[in-house]
Amino acid sequence: MATESSASTEALASGAGVIYDIGYQTYGGPRLGRRAIAVALCWHSLRSAFGIGRGAKAKIIPVITFVIICSPAVINAVIMALGRSNGRVVSYDAYVGVLRLLVLLVFIAAQAPELVSRDLRSRVVPLYFARPIRRQDYPLAKYAAFVLALLAMIDIPVLLLYVGTIMQVHGGAAIWAETRALVPGLLVGLMWAVVLAAVGLALACVSGRRAFATGSVAIFLFMTWTLTTVLTRIVQTTGPHGSGTHLSSGQQVSMAEHLFGLISPFTVLDGVRQWLGGTSHGIVADPGGYGPAYGVMLVVFLAVGLAALVRRYTSASVA
Amino acid sequence: MTADQARPPDLPGADVPVIATTALTRRFGPAIIALDELTMAVGPGITGLVGANGAGKSTLIKILLGLLPPTSGKAAVFGLDAVAGGEQIRGLTGYMPEHDCLPPDVTATEFVTHMGRMSGIPLTAAKERAAESLRHVGLYEERYRQIGTYSTGMKQRVKLAQALVGDPRLLLLDEPTNGLDPAGRTAMLDLICRIGTEFGISVVVSSHLLGEIEQICDHLIAIDAGRLLRSATMSSFTKASQVLAVEVEEGSDLLAAELTARGLGTVRAERELLVLITGDATFDAVRDVVADLGLPLTRMEQRRHRVEELFRADASLAASAAGLMGAVDGH
Repeated sequence: MATESSASTEALASGAGVIYDIGYQTYGGPRLGRRAIAVALCWHSLRSAFGIGRGAKAKIIPVITFVIICSPAVINAVIMALGRSNGRVVSYDAYVGVLRLLVLLVFIAAQAPELVSRDLRSRVVPLYFARPIRRQDYPLAKYAAFVLALLAMIDIPVLLLYVGTIMQVHGGAAIWAETRALVPGLLVGLMWAVVLAAVGLALACVSGRRAFATGSVAIFLFMTWTLTTVLTRIVQTTGPHGSGTHLSSGQQVSMAEHLFGLISPFTVLDGVRQWLGGTSHGIVADPGGYGPAYGVMLVVFLAVGLAALVRRYTSASVA
Repeated sequence: MTADQARPPDLPGADVPVIATTALTRRFGPAIIALDELTMAVGPGITGLVGANGAGKSTLIKILLGLLPPTSGKAAVFGLDAVAGGEQIRGLTGYMPEHDCLPPDVTATEFVTHMGRMSGIPLTAAKERAAESLRHVGLYEERYRQIGTYSTGMKQRVKLAQALVGDPRLLLLDEPTNGLDPAGRTAMLDLICRIGTEFGISVVVSSHLLGEIEQICDHLIAIDAGRLLRSATMSSFTKASQVLAVEVEEGSDLLAAELTARGLGTVRAERELLVLITGDATFDAVRDVVADLGLPLTRMEQRRHRVEELFRADASLAASAAGLMGAVDGH
């Protein structure tokens, strides 16, 4: 406080004629700790994931993808309101598998670089490290923010689906049944968000060049998905003929199919959903006995993604 | 006034040095030694950290912030160990890096507010402090414009504002005049001087140009190849730089003889004469001698040292300055 008064006295003495110069004011208010700073960074990053606080251009992709991913819920509500259907036409846990996959692919490829590449590109990262947080706080805050962003992208449409449905069903029992079906749907959304945020950010933080970051995310997610799809198709169409007389041919084909499903994070996520008791048909065949393999692969995607992300910022090369 | 003067300086950590290092060493791989057994102390006020590019200035700053662990030795800021107390140190310290570190697509106000929050200041206070910091560095209406549209000088000011927004007790400024034109350099140095004196914040400012920062520093630390060359108050540095360089078109031998005859310490250096300045009378004497002899004077200037000249043992100027001292003593 004494510093403050002496500073302002000096300022007065040197520039008394200048009205706007009130001298330097020290800050005596509360200071947030490491955790609160990380929360502030997370909130800031979550906003930027949707282009909030940025220009209009930054909002284009978040808005378009959000509208598209919500459309099945809206269509469902319209169909039910018009009385064309007795029940929901979209499931909570699988939603519309391929649509969700493609929309999220675009969203992650466009917005994960927004969270990490921008800071690398403008070399602002060292400024974060020079503040009272630890190295790993930065990538973990970014990760938490992207999980929340993806959760919003996945679970808000599911909630809309729920709202649109319960407005048309009658009786407490029906609403209760809808609610019980909703909860696994939301949890599946959480699982998707947790895994895809790690994979997406780990791929995006490889480069400060936005085009490269977007490219690496898009190529990885799209190529793995394409590979899974194409290989599965090949097995499905050629398998029975190629396997010829073997009695176990059906089993062998399905084994290959199951293994190909492990390539793409999307099919792994859908496989785990079905393994854990998901009822509706998804983007990959029910893994059946291969469920644990899908579970392991899910953990691998999550762990490798998170480790790569944190490592990128804890190695000395960034600062 | 008397009360003000009687009050002891209330700078934080006035009893402990602002920065202290002991045998601080940092290696990058087996071959590169960025800092080599560096032992020094920095007190309050403005301290210049001079050294050629690659001397280890930036490495030292990163170690002080706890961003880079030392290979061996110790570094402390406000008595806090740089390894164990890095978080606390960073809470008390503002850092302005040498390189560009500004996102182009946000306004200065938004950016500095955000960096204030990252320094632990709640949102409302961070907004106020951001506005104030930007005003202190001389950005007014421009602060609502995107940083990408700024000139280099304005960007340097934003970089300084983001270091200032967290109300630090110490500012570490890494080459703050880099890339600025002469007018911009002067403005930046004035600003740093104001922060160090009026704001009561200790400042460490690094530069590879001694002549540039010597005007504003209380204390100077010179490092070369990671080793401490010299650490001293500014006055003891300037003592060695009281040299007048005189260049005449012809007759420099004649001039040298005449100056020596008048009792001025004079040394021949390639094309010029170096005269030891003992006071204002030296300038008059040189002027008179040149006029009396009718020599065509091309240049007469008080010598600005470059850090390489002043600190290297084999530097011609340092050698001649030493020679001058000897000449005067012998007289």
